[in-house]
Amino acid sequence: MTIAGDEPSLGAPDDLSPREREAVSALVRAMADDEFVLAERYTEWQVRSPTLESDLALSNVAQDEYGHARLWYDLLQDFGASEAELIWEADPVDFRHATLVELPFPEGDWADPILRSYLFDVYEKLHLEALEDSSYPRIRDRVGKVQSEETFHREHAENWLERLCADPDGRERVQFAADRLFPYGLTLFVPTDRESAIVDLGIRTDPLDSLREDWFAEVIPFLESLGIDLPVTDDGVVEVELPEKIGRRGDHTDHWPDLFAEFTHTYREMDLDEPPRLMEDPDDVG
Amino acid sequence: MIWEVFRQEEAGDYHTHCGNVHAPDRDMALAFARIQHARRMPANSLWVVPKDEIGEVDADEAAFGGTTDKAYRWAQTFNTDENFAEEIAESQREQEEAERKREEGA
Repeated sequence: MTIAGDEPSLGAPDDLSPREREAVSALVRAMADDEFVLAERYTEWQVRSPTLESDLALSNVAQDEYGHARLWYDLLQDFGASEAELIWEADPVDFRHATLVELPFPEGDWADPILRSYLFDVYEKLHLEALEDSSYPRIRDRVGKVQSEETFHREHAENWLERLCADPDGRERVQFAADRLFPYGLTLFVPTDRESAIVDLGIRTDPLDSLREDWFAEVIPFLESLGIDLPVTDDGVVEVELPEKIGRRGDHTDHWPDLFAEFTHTYREMDLDEPPRLMEDPDDVG
Repeated sequence: MIWEVFRQEEAGDYHTHCGNVHAPDRDMALAFARIQHARRMPANSLWVVPKDEIGEVDADEAAFGGTTDKAYRWAQTFNTDENFAEEIAESQREQEEAERKREEGA
């Protein structure tokens, strides 16, 4: 079977070789966990955002991210794992989200979720573009659906950043957030231990290294144009050290077990046999 | 700043007032309106309009339609068959409906 450009295409979930399956799993696990954990953090702003409108907007972004997480977890369920095993009864160290998305928000610091959303959403745009021609049809078929919602997220964050930075106090807050979050933005580009297979098999058509360069080329000029200082030399060399905890290989900050305990609390409290499901399977909806 | 929001459900429909949003400028108003007024309802297009830019005249200030009999405005007052054209039938129904509402309100 071939797709456009005569690139070899991977088969159905049951037809994958162990190497192919592990590569798909590693990629999708990181994507699903990023979306899910980021959405969990966003919901902390419910009824606490600066205005009713901003509250609804961020809640809506969170809902979108949960929906995207559902699409990606569903691909892991193709390989036999249940949703309970993947999330609610999982060990916290099984999660592969980048540590950027698990950090708690400094109380009342609206610049943080806005900048975090911006850093993540630009990454996600680039990452999804590199999946448009994925050799794995189950990924390829879902990319467009996610992309159409992500454009709004990015515009939302950009609009807010422009307005926050138009005011000296607001810009100072964004600067504080940037000092803290920019290094964590790099955690999004740290490969899992299956990166070479992911790229060799064409599951993602660009390596994370080159996506990171594209990310720098977009976020650095934009933030600098707003008056935000970033650790970049005049020659364009980014001088940032990776945070100690990355996430992509199961290493998480101390904030993660607490967040995990919090969002699994109700599941454990109610002693559920399986997570209640309100939505249809993504394969059954258009 | 308050922006009034008007939603059009399908191409060709009127934009109908559906509420408002607080936003500092037009771009943010559009972004918020998308979430607040088009997330759950069908929408083909949204307008946002600064509340201050909306002119208003109300029934306390104006006698809408005048106070004297103006039945000559009715199409069927003239010597035409109501069924002569669809437009006339439609106008007839509109006038009857308007009269009914005026009587209810009186």
